Amino acid sequence: MMDVGRHPRVELMTFSEVETVSGFVGNFHVTVRKKARYVDPTECTSCEECSKVCPVAVPDEYQQGFSSRKAIYIPFPQAVPSAFILDMDNCLGNNPIACGKCSDVCEKKCIDYDDQDELVNIEVGVIIAATGMDVYDPTEYDEYGYTRFDNVITSMEFERLICAGGPTGGNFMRPSDQERPKRIGFIQCVGSRSRDGRGNPYCSNICCMNTVKDTLLLCDHYPDTESSVFYMDIRAFGKGFEDMYMRSKEEGVKYIRGIPGEVVEDPKTGNLILTVENTTTGKLEQHELEMLVLSQGVIPRKDNDTIKKLLTLSSTSDGFIMESHPKLKPVDAPTKGIFIAGCVESPKDVKESVTQASAAAARASILLNAGKTKVEAITSQVNAELCNFCGICATVCPYNAILAPDRKAKKPPTIIQAACAGCGACAAECATDAITMRHFTDDQILAQIDAILSHKPHEHLITFACNWCSYAGGDNAGTSRLQYPTTSRLIRTMCSGRVDEKFVIRAFKMGAPMVLVSGCHFADCHYISAVHWTQKRMDRIWTKMEKLGIRPERLQLEWISAAEGQKFAKVMRDLEETVKQVTMEEIEHSMKVMAEEEIRMAEKKAKARPKPVAEVAV
Amino acid sequence: MADVLKTPEELRIGVFVCECGLNIAGTIDCTAVSEYAKTLDDVVCVVQNKYTCADPGQNEIKKAIAEYDLNRVVVASCTPKIHEPTFRECVADAGMNPYLFEMVNIREHVSWVHQNEKELATEKAKDLVRSGVARARFLEPQIEAEVPVTKAALVIGGGVTGIQAALDLADGGHQVYLVEKEASIGGIMAALDKTYPTMDCSI
Amino acid sequence: MAAKEFTFRCLKCGHEYQGMYDAKNVTERSCPKCRSNSIRRLPAGKAAKK
Repeated sequence: MMDVGRHPRVELMTFSEVETVSGFVGNFHVTVRKKARYVDPTECTSCEECSKVCPVAVPDEYQQGFSSRKAIYIPFPQAVPSAFILDMDNCLGNNPIACGKCSDVCEKKCIDYDDQDELVNIEVGVIIAATGMDVYDPTEYDEYGYTRFDNVITSMEFERLICAGGPTGGNFMRPSDQERPKRIGFIQCVGSRSRDGRGNPYCSNICCMNTVKDTLLLCDHYPDTESSVFYMDIRAFGKGFEDMYMRSKEEGVKYIRGIPGEVVEDPKTGNLILTVENTTTGKLEQHELEMLVLSQGVIPRKDNDTIKKLLTLSSTSDGFIMESHPKLKPVDAPTKGIFIAGCVESPKDVKESVTQASAAAARASILLNAGKTKVEAITSQVNAELCNFCGICATVCPYNAILAPDRKAKKPPTIIQAACAGCGACAAECATDAITMRHFTDDQILAQIDAILSHKPHEHLITFACNWCSYAGGDNAGTSRLQYPTTSRLIRTMCSGRVDEKFVIRAFKMGAPMVLVSGCHFADCHYISAVHWTQKRMDRIWTKMEKLGIRPERLQLEWISAAEGQKFAKVMRDLEETVKQVTMEEIEHSMKVMAEEEIRMAEKKAKARPKPVAEVAV
Repeated sequence: MADVLKTPEELRIGVFVCECGLNIAGTIDCTAVSEYAKTLDDVVCVVQNKYTCADPGQNEIKKAIAEYDLNRVVVASCTPKIHEPTFRECVADAGMNPYLFEMVNIREHVSWVHQNEKELATEKAKDLVRSGVARARFLEPQIEAEVPVTKAALVIGGGVTGIQAALDLADGGHQVYLVEKEASIGGIMAALDKTYPTMDCSI
Repeated sequence: MAAKEFTFRCLKCGHEYQGMYDAKNVTERSCPKCRSNSIRRLPAGKAAKK
């Protein structure tokens, strides 16, 4: 911690939050909000005089509320930067007349009640998201009595009670009577591996070893302590972990296989009576304990949505952030130049976090050392001759990468190649087909539709899938071996926003019984908001289909994330049934109607194009 | 209009069908897919490999590009998410523009999800190869733009992970901005007493 | 431009429901009955006509 604080090449921005991120690999523009801390950290010497005179006392978050702190305080003694901060929510007032005691005693005069948030712009080539995790709050496990019984605590609270720097100065005691507990129980998997709707279904990875560690600490500090651990499985698979587990057993810690069903408090002693079915002996047991520690699980950060939006990341079904590839690119985000490390990706311990941190730093260094990188040639291009200067392209572009055309000056739109991310929403919306997406052209995609439907068209579900989410969701179904019917024929686009109305028309014209458009959930869209245009376009096409006498139900829309292999397979199974319900008469009708519509659309586009170039027409 | 834009040169497409050991061949009749690919217009060479991504498989591609003067390559194997970069590099090595390469996913999207429907899976694989070849006809060479990389990194989160990442990058000579929401760095780890397996202090 | 109320129809299960729609801020739709995303915003005045 100290090292990073004084490293000449690290600019530490604490009490700060990233507010906006724009740009692309190698060229990210970031705004950081440095929140007002009301104490100048460069001047503060942590002399503590201010907090001595502060009349406000509030629960100390760092000590899990076991002790109090002042409104002007240092988060913990070894904080980096080593500086105080003023908690304005609890300060008697931004008005020094009300109090102002701290400012009076501050020799360095570094307290400023009028301090303001500051916005800082920085330019970076790479971003590493290491935003970490939150811990599970076990209150909803009412049978364990957390918050009802004083002596039922969480593993995080245990850490503070046993720590020499904790509220009790390292004198381990229980909350109810400040006595040292001699019989201590630990309940494992609180909020983890749960199937009853409370907590989370996944294993939190660290809690078994954390409890083993806690029991060893107790054995070490207080050899007369009797610890019992109630568990379903002990997962001690890391290097040296099994040894620790065995050592804990040898020290006399009892490991009882069984998760307690009930905890009651003896009101006289404050002791806890725990009832558990020991699944090894098959017997119901009661244990009287002086303290009970709930081994709370790890959960995704509650503000994960913010970071997902900022960096266009997506999460797996458990809420942790999704990596580019689980085996081959574990610290890369799908967006180039962005990396993830630590508990933001999944629950992990210190060693694994450090390993991932170094991995992410190494991956990021590849780009930084090279000093340049190539951008995939999938950006959009304008054919100036076909443009009618309507400007819809500039409106739909989520990246503001298109400079709007000028009708009067007959100046077509300009596409800033470096800013274009290649979603294709502009090409799909263009009224005159003047925009071409490189490597995902109309011709290429129409050729795929034609080729697929040149053979038994009425049996096939044409599925458009976006590269990042639904296509990857299909991959996820594959790696999970989720079986589904063979009806679908998939066409990949970078974004569902690329799916042009004419693709759908062509598919029906060629005899497709049904078409499915699929893309990212709105929160996961890799092109900021391109998916909004997908939704709007779908509404438009459904209305058109209805007008043409085609059931809108034959065009389906599903948002499937890269982690939703289950959903992908389910959609495929469900649509198999719906495809079968489409009659041959319906298909023949839509083939005829859509063939006419295709001609009508082409004529309309030709008309919308600028007149002078007469020879283009034929 | 489409025909006008089509590259004027004669199309010479090579199709490479991957068995991926039994991952694909266990469900799909790869020989039938290969035979079918031969019947498609503009396809001048079809090769079936045990593992197309392995060196021998890649060498087959390079050899075929030279021997048959291929100007489009279609590989029917796994998801492009894994090996599209591999194959793009492979064809580029053989002197072809990497954007003239097309990948067809017959593993994640076919063999692994239709394990009990071997015949239908083979038909689907054929359809997808046909679709891939159709797309390949319209592929155009592209040049990737090169962009500079600003020599600075942003690390979001000042817990043990962020600290380590920031230090590694800074020690490597790069400018690092370490942004932490709270008033001090340290994160969850700073609230722990000791950490396993070494049982040492967390701070 | 404020959000207006529209009728939405699920194209999978047929369920219809009222909801807000704002062209400036399109949000993800999901059928409250069957979770499908094939939710059509019916043009104004077209609700529940079979």
